[in-house]
Amino acid sequence: MNKLENIIYKIKDTFHLEAKQKNENQLRVDVDKNLVSSVLLYLKTQLGFMHLNHISCVDWIEDNQFELIYIVWNPESKITVLVHTRIDRANPVMENIDAIWDQANTYEREIREMFGIEFPGLVGAKEFILEDWQEMPPMRKDFDTAAYAEKTYQKRPGRENARDVREELMKRTGEELPDFAKKYSRD
Amino acid sequence: MNVNREKETTLYLGPQHPGITGNMMIKLKVKGDMVTKAETHVGYLHRAFEKLVERRNWLQSFTLMCRFCVPEPDPMELTFARAVEAIEGREVPPRGKYIRTIVAELARIQSFLLWYGGQSGSAGLYTLGQWSVGDRNYILDLFEDLTGARIYHMYMWPGGVRRDLPQGWIEKAYKTMDYLEKRLEDYNKLLFDNAVFQKRAQGVGIIPKDKAIEWGVVGAPLRGTGIKHDVRIDEPYEAYADFDFVVPTYEGGDVWARALVRRDEIKQSISIIRQALDKLPGGSYYNRIPNPMKWKVPAGEAWVKTESVRGEIGFYVVSDGGNKPRRVHLKGAAYTHGVTVLEKILPGQNIADVSFILNSLGVCPPEIER
Repeated sequence: MNKLENIIYKIKDTFHLEAKQKNENQLRVDVDKNLVSSVLLYLKTQLGFMHLNHISCVDWIEDNQFELIYIVWNPESKITVLVHTRIDRANPVMENIDAIWDQANTYEREIREMFGIEFPGLVGAKEFILEDWQEMPPMRKDFDTAAYAEKTYQKRPGRENARDVREELMKRTGEELPDFAKKYSRD
Repeated sequence: MNVNREKETTLYLGPQHPGITGNMMIKLKVKGDMVTKAETHVGYLHRAFEKLVERRNWLQSFTLMCRFCVPEPDPMELTFARAVEAIEGREVPPRGKYIRTIVAELARIQSFLLWYGGQSGSAGLYTLGQWSVGDRNYILDLFEDLTGARIYHMYMWPGGVRRDLPQGWIEKAYKTMDYLEKRLEDYNKLLFDNAVFQKRAQGVGIIPKDKAIEWGVVGAPLRGTGIKHDVRIDEPYEAYADFDFVVPTYEGGDVWARALVRRDEIKQSISIIRQALDKLPGGSYYNRIPNPMKWKVPAGEAWVKTESVRGEIGFYVVSDGGNKPRRVHLKGAAYTHGVTVLEKILPGQNIADVSFILNSLGVCPPEIER
């Protein structure tokens, strides 16, 4: 049994979860949200995954879910495990794991600010990167960046119609500009 | 300001200060000139790159990817390219892999030279900074010949690199390596034989060895505590498996140990570039992608790591099968070094050493905010 199979077996034996091999040194395991901290604590204390690389978040608006990805790494065997979980998008609350890793605090504060996921008991100011932010959390898929820019920023006087620079230049100069994008297109 | 040792005073260091490239404020609580508590405040540089790429196609994203961190743009585009290749299962031809390795190592050297300037400058030794930043221009010249740009190259694309090596470039690269190798001896005399630097660096900003992995320390700061970890050796990517090089480690975990690690790593980078130029295979350098405007990457996810000068950086990239990325998330070394690690090691240090320690950790604020 190689190192990866050993980990797959141990995760299955302890939590009845199927871990899948992604490549020669990565595993992926999909976990229920209530089990995340138990799985992470088990990986850290029993299997030597001492290093928390990152916590990432993906907005699956079509499924009405957020996906959280905890990436942990073992310095001995050089294996990475990605722990995936999905939480409800309408009421996004996730367990806080900064008792297991201190730096999780930073990652969770970013996710709280960018996706609006609450981590009960999270220490640290609400504002981490954004300043005086009044809108919905900006990394959510339904946040309309164009509409926000229209509303927040003013157009420079005299440049209102200059959105298409080519058209504007042709109008001003009366010259026909060559369309390189069309000329060199492969279809 | 009250400098009485008994009374605690709040001191705002930054957002502009020596020691780092970028803006970041550290709120210090000080007693006399000793730091008792530190808190990192970011938010001066947020450019929403991760949001912007969700509206750009895969190839357009590269113009933003390299801009995550000014002193070291190449590892970013390399890692993103590798992440896209991992999702798509696209192979890179051997020549492409070798050229990528050469560019990645050149990027390491130029970033090391910039670090020399910052580290010596924050100790008040300005001569070395002038020299090393001047010598860095020879590397930027090589980049300019190769890619047309000095800092942001957008040279490494999914499937390989954008252009082949120009005529005469290999000879020029050999010459630059010979020159730099000679210069390193001068640097050693100026920095490591300097009593001021020795006194300032030894025993300052210590990261405990038993906590380093748990705190998320990576790169030179980790190797400075005596733990041997380098992505280039542990999980070799591109052509690194073909070369002989060692990963230097030093005990102590202080600024001095981290400086020694970096000093030795430049020599290793020069050696890797020479080996790569010696063994450079022929053939194609690029595995052509379809029309970039209509190119769709199959659904999937990838977590890919690369060793940069500041430590390992990772990209978590998700594709939903469309022509734009669903999610791109960068984890830079500075994300932990600049917040958690810094807040833990600063208490007990002198105010004058704060920017010194910041530089030795390789904190790059644009990497924290993205």
